[in-house]
Amino acid sequence: MKKGKTLSIAIIATSFGLTAFGLGSSASADMNPALAALGQPPIPPDNKQSAEKVELGKLLFFDSRIGGDASVSCADCHAQKQGWGFNDPISRGYPGVIHWRNSQTVINSAYLGKLFWTGSAKSLENQAPAAALGAVSGNGERDMVEARLAFIPEYVKRFNKVFGDDWPKVNNVWRAIAAFERTLIHNQTPYDKYMRGDKNALTKEQKRGLKLFKGKANCVKCHNGPLLSDQKYYNLGVPRAEDWLENGMAQITFRYEQYAKGVTEELYRKIKDDAGLYYRTKQKADMGKFRTPPLRYTAYTAPFMHNGSFFDFDEIVDFYNAGGGSNEFTDGTLAKSKTKLLKPLKLSDQEKEDLVAFLESLSGEEIKIPTPKLPPYAPLPAVAKTN
Amino acid sequence: MNRKASSGIGWRIALALGVTIAASPVLADDFGPVKPMKVDAKKAELGKRLFFDPRLSGDAAISCSKCHIPAKGFSDGLALSKAYPGSDGFRNTPTLINTAHKAAWFHDGRIGTNLNDVTREMITETYTMNMDMRLMQERIKQDPIYVKMFKEAGYGEPSNGSIRKAIPEYLKTLNSRGSAFDSGNMSDAAKRGFDLFTGKAGCAQCHSGPRFSDDKPHNIAVPENPDIWSEPKRHLTYVAFGMFIGIENYMNIRRDVGAHIRTHKSDGSDIGKFMTPTLRELNQTAPYMHNGMIKTLEEVVAFYNRGGGNDTNKDPRVKPLNLSREEQVNLVAFLKSLSGDPLTGPEHVWKEKINVNYAAIEDWLKKKN
Repeated sequence: MKKGKTLSIAIIATSFGLTAFGLGSSASADMNPALAALGQPPIPPDNKQSAEKVELGKLLFFDSRIGGDASVSCADCHAQKQGWGFNDPISRGYPGVIHWRNSQTVINSAYLGKLFWTGSAKSLENQAPAAALGAVSGNGERDMVEARLAFIPEYVKRFNKVFGDDWPKVNNVWRAIAAFERTLIHNQTPYDKYMRGDKNALTKEQKRGLKLFKGKANCVKCHNGPLLSDQKYYNLGVPRAEDWLENGMAQITFRYEQYAKGVTEELYRKIKDDAGLYYRTKQKADMGKFRTPPLRYTAYTAPFMHNGSFFDFDEIVDFYNAGGGSNEFTDGTLAKSKTKLLKPLKLSDQEKEDLVAFLESLSGEEIKIPTPKLPPYAPLPAVAKTN
Repeated sequence: MNRKASSGIGWRIALALGVTIAASPVLADDFGPVKPMKVDAKKAELGKRLFFDPRLSGDAAISCSKCHIPAKGFSDGLALSKAYPGSDGFRNTPTLINTAHKAAWFHDGRIGTNLNDVTREMITETYTMNMDMRLMQERIKQDPIYVKMFKEAGYGEPSNGSIRKAIPEYLKTLNSRGSAFDSGNMSDAAKRGFDLFTGKAGCAQCHSGPRFSDDKPHNIAVPENPDIWSEPKRHLTYVAFGMFIGIENYMNIRRDVGAHIRTHKSDGSDIGKFMTPTLRELNQTAPYMHNGMIKTLEEVVAFYNRGGGNDTNKDPRVKPLNLSREEQVNLVAFLKSLSGDPLTGPEHVWKEKINVNYAAIEDWLKKKN
């Protein structure tokens, strides 16, 4: 392969930061941003990395005292043993509820321009509070988070050192967690090694799979750039979550989300599937659209899709081979927003196997870290400081 | 409660009760039974089920009745209340008996509108039930028993608005009844105690009206409960409360400012005022005071006899009373005569088991949400 060219594109992409990762601004309309190895994630200028900040963020990521009932931490729905996601189709959510979407991996979230399945958070700093405070996820509350942290002397010390806070400030909780998440990156996969020039990093099957990925199967139309995602939104016709037909608690959350996201009463009454990007834009054409997920680390993050409909790569490849599926946003019940990019692919069994083999090359070593020991509460001095 | 000027009715009630109030500055017609309220039975029945349903809290584990326990006079028997997991209480759970008659709620009186607002506050507050009411509505809609009850009560489909109407309707049924004071069956000691209450001891200056409360905040200098400041989970809950409600210097103060949060006097002279509690149903609702610092009625009377506690902002009317041992006993006997029958029967308590699991709606695709 054209080793030199691939490398230089990767370097350009890295140096341009986020805009080069497939937001479309630098690529012409019909040219897909080139596949490439993944470089280092962009670091926002107003939340620079430091070892102390990352360490603080790690503690907070695992600390359930951020959650409403002090029993749920980030790590409960983004569990490292479950690919830093959650291995049920629908995430567990807060005690007493179930979530309504699949929990995405934290790995490589640092590269994403927007977070959540419909890009509703514009940064990791904004994603963390949305998850920690939402009723079906962390159900926490800002004042309570600040109050709890003030009674943990180790945090008081660390927030002071990292942020200069007299008492831990809740916005710095999110900034520290974001800094920690920016260290959870996965760019040493066989695929990355191959793209950096190690021709033996992929098997023959995987190389054939890559060719299909870029060619006949046309996955690259959306899964492009170093991140293998264009970060745009599509309706593929993924079937609705089975849970909504069978699970009373899931039906509750489904309705709650319609209510909380402010749909019209007319739509609230009749909708029976997740309208995705529509909740953000309120444009009918956006119904059922979800962001193209990056494909690295997927060996550890099944099940797949926004509602966990598919349990393995074979099911995914079969789904695309059939030209995607249908749902109430494809069949005209509520919209007809299915992407025109999906067509039956007519892949042979061998081709399907090759494509699966290629997908397997996108995950390297599992990322595991020791769970940190969390600092305890302590009373404040009985005699108050005066001023 | 408005004090009335001298009237013949007052005298007749006093005579019927067999007590003399000649020396009293307070008139007996202030007291009398708490009048039952007009209640919509179906709405109240619905409110009763909601009151005992743990699905009204964020984690679906805490009902109103978890802290307002019928067998404890709809309080909880603790000095400081429990709170939502991850926090802990910094005040005593007040009784809900006669609560619908109050003019302002919470020990600091911070809600002075109606029980609809109080219900919302309790359900949504982080350290009490921590519930997003939109989620609450959808939970309630999932229970066919509620769907039927809401409809029959005239509310249509369950909504968070009607939940906050039904619970207050139920609370209106929690009315004191059967006390010796109301039925005229007071002991002689209690009668003498009433005389002291309205006379020498001066209690009735604040403990006035049918509920024996003027619904106003006063500073009697009850000592701080040290557990609030030594137990991190209680103290941090107070800090979170202070942040939200706007207590100045909340990280450094070590006292409950009480009704200061309503009046915010710059000289701090309103710090330490708490609402006059009702004196009805005290037999069921120990320990006493806003922070549960006094365990028995005997100690309460002794506290007042000493002239309350120490505080620069203490109400000047609270001063040593020089009550004899017997006078104190009589006062306690009177206080005990203000407690009636426990409200623990099916009229006031939802006795059927509430199935807290949610069945899936069948043929979901065909049903309107």
